[in-house]
Amino acid sequence: MSFDRSHQGSRGKLQLDSALTTRWSGSVGVLVLGAVMWGQVLLGAGWAEAERTWKSVQELSAEELRAVDLRTETPRDATFPYLPAERYPFSPPYTAEEMGYRAMEFSHFARWSHALGTAAGSITPSGHLFTENNLDSFCYLPTEGLSGQLYDTAPGTPYLKLLSQGVFPPERYSNQSLFVLYRTDDKAMGETDLFVYTHALRRVRRQPPIRRQDYYARTAMRFDDILVQNAWEYVWKLLGTDILFTTVRFPVTRQTITLADLDGTFRERAVTELKLMGEAYPAYTADGGVACYVVEAVPRPEWRRASHLSRLIYWLDRQTFFPLRIESYGRQGSLMFVEVRTARLLNPQLGERGYAAHIFVFWDVERDFLSYDVHDTYQYHSWSALDKTVFFTPDFMRRRWFLGPPRSQAGVPSAAEFYLRPALDPGKFSHERMIRLPAEVAARVEAQETVGHLVF
Amino acid sequence: MVLTALCSGWPARGYGGMLSDTWSRFDRVASIFDPVGTYVSQPIEKTIPALTFKGFFRQWSDINLHRNQKVGFRNKDFRFLQLQNLLEIELHYQFTDNLELTNINHFLYDGVYNWQDSGGLFAPRFSETARHYHNFERIVRELNLSYRTHSFDIVIGKQQIAWGKMDGRFIDMINPMDVRESVQLEASDFEYRRLPTWMANATYFFGAHSLQLLYIPNFEQERLPTVGSPWFPPSVPPLDAIVKKRKRPSAGDFGDHEYGARLDISMDPLTWGLIYFYAWNDNPTFFITGADRSDGTVTPILTPRHTRLHHLGVTADYATAFSGVPLVGDLPVVVRIEGLYSFGVKFADARRQLAALAGGDSGGQASRDTLRAAIALEFALPGNTSFIVQPSLFTTFGWRKSIVSSGFGGATASNEWNLLPVVFVEHPFRFTRDRLRASITVFPFLGAPGRHYEGTKSKLVVSYKFSRFITGRLIYTTYDGGGRDSTFGQYDKWDNIGWEVSYEF
Repeated sequence: MSFDRSHQGSRGKLQLDSALTTRWSGSVGVLVLGAVMWGQVLLGAGWAEAERTWKSVQELSAEELRAVDLRTETPRDATFPYLPAERYPFSPPYTAEEMGYRAMEFSHFARWSHALGTAAGSITPSGHLFTENNLDSFCYLPTEGLSGQLYDTAPGTPYLKLLSQGVFPPERYSNQSLFVLYRTDDKAMGETDLFVYTHALRRVRRQPPIRRQDYYARTAMRFDDILVQNAWEYVWKLLGTDILFTTVRFPVTRQTITLADLDGTFRERAVTELKLMGEAYPAYTADGGVACYVVEAVPRPEWRRASHLSRLIYWLDRQTFFPLRIESYGRQGSLMFVEVRTARLLNPQLGERGYAAHIFVFWDVERDFLSYDVHDTYQYHSWSALDKTVFFTPDFMRRRWFLGPPRSQAGVPSAAEFYLRPALDPGKFSHERMIRLPAEVAARVEAQETVGHLVF
Repeated sequence: MVLTALCSGWPARGYGGMLSDTWSRFDRVASIFDPVGTYVSQPIEKTIPALTFKGFFRQWSDINLHRNQKVGFRNKDFRFLQLQNLLEIELHYQFTDNLELTNINHFLYDGVYNWQDSGGLFAPRFSETARHYHNFERIVRELNLSYRTHSFDIVIGKQQIAWGKMDGRFIDMINPMDVRESVQLEASDFEYRRLPTWMANATYFFGAHSLQLLYIPNFEQERLPTVGSPWFPPSVPPLDAIVKKRKRPSAGDFGDHEYGARLDISMDPLTWGLIYFYAWNDNPTFFITGADRSDGTVTPILTPRHTRLHHLGVTADYATAFSGVPLVGDLPVVVRIEGLYSFGVKFADARRQLAALAGGDSGGQASRDTLRAAIALEFALPGNTSFIVQPSLFTTFGWRKSIVSSGFGGATASNEWNLLPVVFVEHPFRFTRDRLRASITVFPFLGAPGRHYEGTKSKLVVSYKFSRFITGRLIYTTYDGGGRDSTFGQYDKWDNIGWEVSYEF
């Protein structure tokens, strides 16, 4: 994920015609960024056709095609008819659906018991910065990994308990929440239980089950984006391949970030040192990129009644199927949300499934609202039976007993140092990706790409 | 604040304008404005790593919207109902992983007595605490030592305990309250209005369940609005009685101590609990212990005394979701239930009062059992909108017409029961990135067989997060309907608008 200054090359090229912008914004309110202009962006950012990194399925080589299975209908599991008959984690060649299940392994949280110190924040278009720090403890109930959820957990029973304890800002100190996530299917539909301890009330209160399409308060994300990602709720299709060089982008105003090593030591790192999949990843391309499959997921109406989505598009690392970029498209078909990530290997015993997300940036495109989340200080845990019953129950929160590792130092200190909006790269898979930005958002994107930091 | 909220949505539409640029600069500066955190808390915590230093400064002001006038037995010649400034300093020192010392201090000053010209506000003559906290008891709110292991917690010292899961006071009665705002005291203020007491608090955790035991040698009484304070009830006539000194339970007498137990059970998707509290009534009962006939009239002699109460309570909550609800699709809901049954509550009884004045030994009081209970239905509507309906019931068992007062947990005077079907709606506004929220709460107060309608309190709150550290609220509260001597109706001329600004560090 090294910070790519190639965007600076677009300085002077990506200049929206202000008269055009004004006229368009005044007449239709939105600016559809045309291919010509985005061609300029691409050229400026070093994505010239000669360096084209993506291929559609039709353009894949015979060798590349041997690794994938283009079938959309495959035999079903006898017990769980919504799952493929072949047992997870599958073997190559992979169907797009199987890739979706492999990606499900890497949800927002790692699929084993652990604790994290997280630093998170959001920024409004005017530059108002919220940040917060939490200590999050995870109790993964089945066998480690997604297979534990798929095959060892009966629908309607919990597979993950997450205790989140607020430590910053001061108003959140000691505020806590306990999420219980359930294995669901077409009969057992309740996905979550949520209990909240508010220190100002000194009460633990059960909350109504979450509405997946609702937003987390004061963030760009919906609950759907981070808590519930069930592959069986979508129809999967391979769009092609791509090579990613950047996902999370730092501004020119931020040269370093303080991150915790796995031994707990805090170390100031140059942002240029950071790699998309971490140090241990063996499959970087010669020029430091990560080869990805690009797959589309369309909600199945029988599973996602009245979904706010028309489709998701994933960029999945071809080695591990880790999702490095996820785009959500609204009911009207246009881009509404982008999530980009970096990863690192945290649990080598699980092999390629031992990767976990490290830094996230989320962009609510329509509202131009940005959030980040750094899963920083980390401790592997094998909670004892006593730990599980004592720590991961609602009443534990009343004790105000902080479980996690040290508080992260990776927060964004000021608006000027906030992460950049994820790159749009509109030329990639342009038939499947409809990108329409409101005029003022397009202007801010242009200003950002010109100067290398957010402009308010 | 409303203008500020609207401005916060502006940049999304008016990028580049002069107003939005100015606002944007202000907004960026405001978002990191934390002088106490930067120059006090952080240096202290760096110097003493085992110490956590935090706190807040809060300013509350309420302005009465009615002209000065005589209301009931009061001369309402004041407009500010509160000008309170509260500084909280909270300290935690971690001796070891298991042992922690907690100290919370409050410094309060209410400017209503000095910052306006009023003859009707004279409470500091009776209690300086109405104006500012000036003694150890009020300044040092909490001072306790806690020790914990996996399955056992013990906290010894001055502390406050909140029992229950619901808004309002149903089983939340371990600590008395400073009820200086009377009917305007809200559940969100309980944290600052509970009166912490010295106690031992031990909890044993077994499985997903817990058992808590309390031993409270130190009794504190509830603090009602002092005579001459803004919220002293206008329906209360001047007292025509001789009142003797209040007799309070003694910390030095084991027989005067209080004991409580709470059992919490977690059985997904239901959690429930039982409580028992052997307590004193936090408000004294005025027993008639004689009569003075020296000037030809009969003047009762009253002896205020706290009486013993046994409380049994239950609390439970359950979550589910309804599918296919018109307009909203899935509808998640939580049901919360809470109830408290109190034995032997004293009520003033007109017949017994006459007997007492004639020399009988009943003290003018009758004992009755009471029940206060509520059921809350909380619905999660789209857009993070909360909708809560909470009917609350207050009942006096064995009620009769001669009962002329209210009593702990029971109905108001002249009523056998009261019902408050409270309705609450809250919505955050996404265009402000959830910084702006608005809520409305309506408290209709019904009863029978005496006063059927005691008035309705309505509250509109608009809150805005200026930053991670600073929050502002505008609150409009009205009291409508009911009679001049009814619970809400007597405050008909107390409609007010207020603001709160809170800085947490």
